[in-house]
Amino acid sequence: MDHQNAGYLNVYGPPSASAQFPYSPRGNFAPVSPYLNFDPAYLAQSGPEWIFPEGASRQRGRFELAFSQIGGSVMTGALLGGFNGFYTGLKETAAAGHVGSVRRTQMLNYITKRGAGIGNTLGVIAVMYSSFGVIFSLVRGVDDELNTVSAATAAGLLYKSSAGLRRCAVGGALGFSLATAYCLWTGRDRLQQMFSPSPA
Amino acid sequence: MEEYAREPCPWRIVDDCGGAFTMGAIGGAVFQSIKGFRNAPIGINRRLLGSLAAVKERAPVVGGNFAVWGGLFSTIDCTMVHIRKKEDPWNSITSGALTGAILAVRNGAGAMVGSAVIGGVLLALIEGVGILFTRYSAEQFKPINPQMEDPSQLSQSGPFGNQQYQ
Repeated sequence: MDHQNAGYLNVYGPPSASAQFPYSPRGNFAPVSPYLNFDPAYLAQSGPEWIFPEGASRQRGRFELAFSQIGGSVMTGALLGGFNGFYTGLKETAAAGHVGSVRRTQMLNYITKRGAGIGNTLGVIAVMYSSFGVIFSLVRGVDDELNTVSAATAAGLLYKSSAGLRRCAVGGALGFSLATAYCLWTGRDRLQQMFSPSPA
Repeated sequence: MEEYAREPCPWRIVDDCGGAFTMGAIGGAVFQSIKGFRNAPIGINRRLLGSLAAVKERAPVVGGNFAVWGGLFSTIDCTMVHIRKKEDPWNSITSGALTGAILAVRNGAGAMVGSAVIGGVLLALIEGVGILFTRYSAEQFKPINPQMEDPSQLSQSGPFGNQQYQ
């Protein structure tokens, strides 16, 4: 509100300095709507603010992240497998003495086969991990590191479940250790706070 | 399902790829388990083993095929959004046709055309059903007898006339 307009709404008295900024913490509360008449100290001054729908959690759920994780795994696997196939194909076709279109087709076969194979493997593991994670977080009602670790262990167990007890256990242990390492890495700040001697 | 919004464009490719892989892997697992069960030799134990073997063999492959389709489709879709600066059904239809054509590129020109037609028609059907669904569901929110307020009254009243403070 500038001074030309101030006279129009100003039915309570001459415009004062605080009328310019009606949300002042003390003093002239009168000229503004009672709904705007509050102490700005109640507004959070620092830190990001979000409005969450009622009952919504404060972080993105596992289901929301699941598809991105699965897609990322598939793409990473396809990329790694593609490079591996390119390298192997280059070596093998040179050793076999292929030239021209035969070599090109053979190279394409190597790249697509290896890429698809590793991509599918990683993708299936990611699907298992994500479904276990979603199920655990739904059942327990909270989403924390315990879900991550147990989902990874269960995914490892399930992926190797038809290869014999021993390999099944190895798969589960691999999932457990990977997830534990991940959780220790992402939660290192909290761990540091927990174990460091308090400054006071 | 929670509030699920689509990602903005470059990340949508990863998201769609993952969604397509999940769909293909789970659907393929269900389909292949039935197929393996039916094709196995007699005896319930053998049937279950055949079912398991078929799922292990084929479900990741089906998922991978779906993932390639979804990822390529989404990549072309995002590219077209970037080039044309708008999102409409034509983007989806064109990228469906192009995806079909690109994936059949090793099978010759005839196969490419056929695959492109199938992809385009499929996506046109999906988009058409989506538009129809939106039309029908929008119908129920239409106000029956809308009462428009006269905006000229708002500026005429004085400061004390109908001052309501909301």
